[in-house]
Amino acid sequence: MIGAGTAKARPDRPAGQPPAGDFDHDAALLACGKGDSAAFRALYDREAGKMLGIAMRLLKRQSLAEDAVHDAFVNVWNKAATFDPAQGNARGWMYTILRNRALNMLRTEGRLDHQDAFETLLGAAPDEDPEAIVAGLSEASALRRCLEGLAPNRRSVLVLAYVHGLTHGEIAGRLGVPLGTMKSWVRRSLLALKECMG
Amino acid sequence: MNGEASNEDEVALAGSFVLGMLGDAESADAEQLLAWDSGFAREVHAWRERLSPLDASAKALPPPAALWQRIEASTATARPQKAREPARRPAMRATGGLGLWQAIEFWRWTAIGGAVATFAMVVLAGTLLLRWPSQPIMVAVLSVDGSGKPGAVVESFADGSVRLIPLQAIDVPEGRALQVWTLRDRQEGPISVGLLDKARTVHLRLGKLPAPRVDQLFEITLEPDTGSPTGRPTGPVLMKGLTANTL
Repeated sequence: MIGAGTAKARPDRPAGQPPAGDFDHDAALLACGKGDSAAFRALYDREAGKMLGIAMRLLKRQSLAEDAVHDAFVNVWNKAATFDPAQGNARGWMYTILRNRALNMLRTEGRLDHQDAFETLLGAAPDEDPEAIVAGLSEASALRRCLEGLAPNRRSVLVLAYVHGLTHGEIAGRLGVPLGTMKSWVRRSLLALKECMG
Repeated sequence: MNGEASNEDEVALAGSFVLGMLGDAESADAEQLLAWDSGFAREVHAWRERLSPLDASAKALPPPAALWQRIEASTATARPQKAREPARRPAMRATGGLGLWQAIEFWRWTAIGGAVATFAMVVLAGTLLLRWPSQPIMVAVLSVDGSGKPGAVVESFADGSVRLIPLQAIDVPEGRALQVWTLRDRQEGPISVGLLDKARTVHLRLGKLPAPRVDQLFEITLEPDTGSPTGRPTGPVLMKGLTANTL
């Protein structure tokens, strides 16, 4: 619940291993907005591992993913006072900051750097298969049910874009369809997904 | 805006935005819409909710100890912003210029009146503090009117992004704001590219405006804090300068 209690840092526990039980992300983030660095550490302990995983799926390289998580947490700290629980939950708010940062790195910075491109070829983590990602969603998830209602190619497009940050052109290339077709697939898949999920 | 469920273009645009599939210009335009159009903002939030299980499906990776140390070092000096403003009040707004409606083909059909279009010019920008490792291709040094001293620099990069870096503090009275303008040609007149509450480094969102060219004027005027009521500079010119190529 919002504002219910103060989040406590547990610096003796290894980072990236969330404590068992409930954790009030909203309260912790609101506390960060008031300058509570212990709450900030608690949020980091709780979310850094997952955020690194999300960033790795987008950026493929550990060092870039760590940069994205670093930048995201600095942003979280600096903007915490602007967080409004009425507009959405704290975890989603933090993940949005991370995704924006990682996508920005991917789009505006990563491609310009030939050395990075070279390293990527050597050391990049392979993309996870979109079907495996969908299969990994909870059975009860409406997203899973509705994605499974789409044709496999349409489903892949949405997952490849969201999870791996691929562009229209990259997905069109990967699936071997024209760019225009890809754009119309994206549009129709989105509309179908919304229709299904409500 | 009561978009109704039938507003397919808005739904698809919001979904593409959340997927990260929009190009730079479209994405900047969507950010503008997000800031001013509560209907569009609701669509974006709805997409973030719908797709969030995909984030949750990522495998957590153990972060190295050095990562927290870096974050701690980066946040030790920076203090969180005081919540003196309503949470959604953008710290910096910029206008996207004429291209907004042309930019997004999805929006062609939209029968939105002129009054709304005026608000469409308001942007949330500077939400991400970007780092630009590359060198600017063009720079304008804005001289302070009167003294002639350099007051700010505008840098334009190859990817179309434009950054304003103030070189000195500017006194902004209560209820007023700094508005950044660019003049590409006299026929067209000055176009607002940003509204700031104080002198700070920001990325100017030029939307669909072409990248700056040589001898394009940039200037900063003092305006009401909601921006010039006329869409043209009304307050005193604080500083101005022309772009030139870098070597």
